[in-house]
Amino acid sequence: METFNNFLGGAVTLFSDPLGIVIFFGGVIGGMLFGAIPGVSMLTLAAILLPFTAHLSPEHGIMLFSVIYCTGVYGGAITAILFNIPGSPENAPTAFDGYPMTKNGQAGKAVGAAVMCSAIGGTVSAVIMMIATAPIANWAISAFGPPEIFALVFFGLAVASSVGAKTFWKGWLSILIGLLIAVIGLDPVGGIPRWDFNMPYLLAGIHFIPTILGFFAVTEIFVQAENRAKGSYQAPKLSVDFPSFAELIAHKFAVLRSIVIGFFCGILPGIGATLASFMGYNEAVRWSKDKSEFGKGKLEGVISSETANNAATGAAMIPLLALGLPGGALTAMMVGVFQMHDMEPGPLVFLNSADLVWVVFAAMFFANISILFVGYLETKTIINLLRIPFQFLAPMILCLATVGAYAVRGLTIDVIVMFVAGAIGFFLRRSGYSVAGIVLGLILGRIGEQTFAQAMQMLHFEWSGFAGRPIAAALLVAGFLTLLGSIYGAFFKKQV
Amino acid sequence: MGNLRTGHIVEAALWLGLCLFLYIYSFQFEKEIEIYKFGASAWPRAILLLIAVAAVGQLLYNWKKGDGGATSMIAQAHDDSSKGSDHNSLKWYLWTFFLLALPFIYMNLPEAIAGMMSLEKPGLHSAKLIVAGIVVLVYILTMRGNYVGGILALPILFGAFLQDFGFYAMAPIFILGVMYLFGERRYKRMVVIGLGLYALLMIFFVSLLYVGLPTGNIGWFYDFGTTMVNILQ
Repeated sequence: METFNNFLGGAVTLFSDPLGIVIFFGGVIGGMLFGAIPGVSMLTLAAILLPFTAHLSPEHGIMLFSVIYCTGVYGGAITAILFNIPGSPENAPTAFDGYPMTKNGQAGKAVGAAVMCSAIGGTVSAVIMMIATAPIANWAISAFGPPEIFALVFFGLAVASSVGAKTFWKGWLSILIGLLIAVIGLDPVGGIPRWDFNMPYLLAGIHFIPTILGFFAVTEIFVQAENRAKGSYQAPKLSVDFPSFAELIAHKFAVLRSIVIGFFCGILPGIGATLASFMGYNEAVRWSKDKSEFGKGKLEGVISSETANNAATGAAMIPLLALGLPGGALTAMMVGVFQMHDMEPGPLVFLNSADLVWVVFAAMFFANISILFVGYLETKTIINLLRIPFQFLAPMILCLATVGAYAVRGLTIDVIVMFVAGAIGFFLRRSGYSVAGIVLGLILGRIGEQTFAQAMQMLHFEWSGFAGRPIAAALLVAGFLTLLGSIYGAFFKKQV
Repeated sequence: MGNLRTGHIVEAALWLGLCLFLYIYSFQFEKEIEIYKFGASAWPRAILLLIAVAAVGQLLYNWKKGDGGATSMIAQAHDDSSKGSDHNSLKWYLWTFFLLALPFIYMNLPEAIAGMMSLEKPGLHSAKLIVAGIVVLVYILTMRGNYVGGILALPILFGAFLQDFGFYAMAPIFILGVMYLFGERRYKRMVVIGLGLYALLMIFFVSLLYVGLPTGNIGWFYDFGTTMVNILQ
């Protein structure tokens, strides 16, 4: 009851403030648009807006970013489905079945499923977040130390290695390329420069935003360029055909499973929505009786990944607000917003700024609800983008990507890195490697190494120490079994 | 040789070569960390070892199954393989990598010339203008008949020019170039739509969001960039 009263209080505060309403709807529409427009993402918008939040109150600043987070995660699904360009890595699995659905003339149904499932996943996650913040955070924090987080990263990478690449080995090579890129720069323990080749730019590490823009947005343009040259480019067919209620009911277990997976992944720092969507998708494949339909345009694929990634958004706020631990790029930017107002996220925020917490919680709840309505209207606008001939859309995407890559740090070398990543991604994709795997490796590489180092220090450099931690041991064993199963499948089965 | 083709061996050799190159360089940061006995090089070397294992695994897979199909239906959905493409010959790769090298020639050659001839800033700028002109000319001559290679290299060239010539002056040329490489030949439409796109970008990012874009730093390119910023903001 106290939770409900707090939520009502947050909602009243949010909607009784005209500036708060403007910022809320600005965030909802902006997040969706930047998530949806190919070549930019919610991170681009957040990076552009970050300096301006100094002029807002902390409530408005954090609320704006949390709303952008909710709707941006959904917005990326639109481009993943329509153009095979995920707005961000958390939408990558959505493209696996979403894009084939577009090619089959079912773009509307795929987008409709994404709208509904994003709203359902996000709203349920927001409600659970409000009810269970303290107990869940306490459990995760007490049960998950560095060994468990490292084991979860390993398990996640083992699962993801089978996704997207032509063979199991190329899947692993893709992930290892990402891990290799993440190594460049200062080592996380001793601050020793690695593979910087005496270049100041490499000393700071290769930034993940230009790399993601390159591997996804730019590579896709290059692939389309070759398809046109081969004469195999096909403009997607247009339709608006939202899934029926009966279809959603038929997938209720997929929705529920993805909510649980998404929430569990979202609550752990550094794991978040990306692994949530990959695991949501993989579990959907694993539990399905007809695995062969996945990758060809199966509605359940879209439902599973979109429910899971939005279910992670609410959960990702828990470690940020309760402990000050950002789980990803956008929550890390939120720490920046706090710091600009001389605040530190963490337990004291609950004590000193309870209003802020509940305004943010209420805003996230309503942002997820609004995906249903604004998402429906805006999706039609986005679908109209398909009518633009690709020779006119391509320069726009490349210019937006240029602005996005440059806006992060104001470095032209980031633009060059993005386009080089795009060219590398083009050659890797045509050789059967997975760019989604590379990006996952890149994002999880840093946290993987950091938590491994912390874990080994905790365990006094005894490998057997992992066996004494049941959750870590179970995750490592599950990861190794997944690997062994994949190797067996690669050599001895006709098709996995 | 089983089902192996030359391409498979080249691919594996590239991975193993990369591993060897990076392994040798890893001795540069093989330093002890007091609180961490594995040091800074253990993790990167473990990744290199795994890459080598995966590359050999892929080679064995090719030896047993040839190119094979994608191992999973999901992977098949993402199969962008170059099979059946005209852009798969050694000649195409060589010309494309030549095109891709052009931006890096521009990024390094003017400084090298300025260093050798002890040129001051105006001299360096002149060297950059001359090298840029030559690079663009070589690019235009080389990419004719290889539009896929051209589209791969053009954005990198654009990125390399941004620092010196600025976004404001380069973006219209870049937009028109991409349209041309994507097969558009209706020149009036190209100019109208290209300028429209440019205006949209300028209004949204520069006028509304006050995003600072590179103005360039050479002669009238810099003047043009700053004039555009003054007008738009």
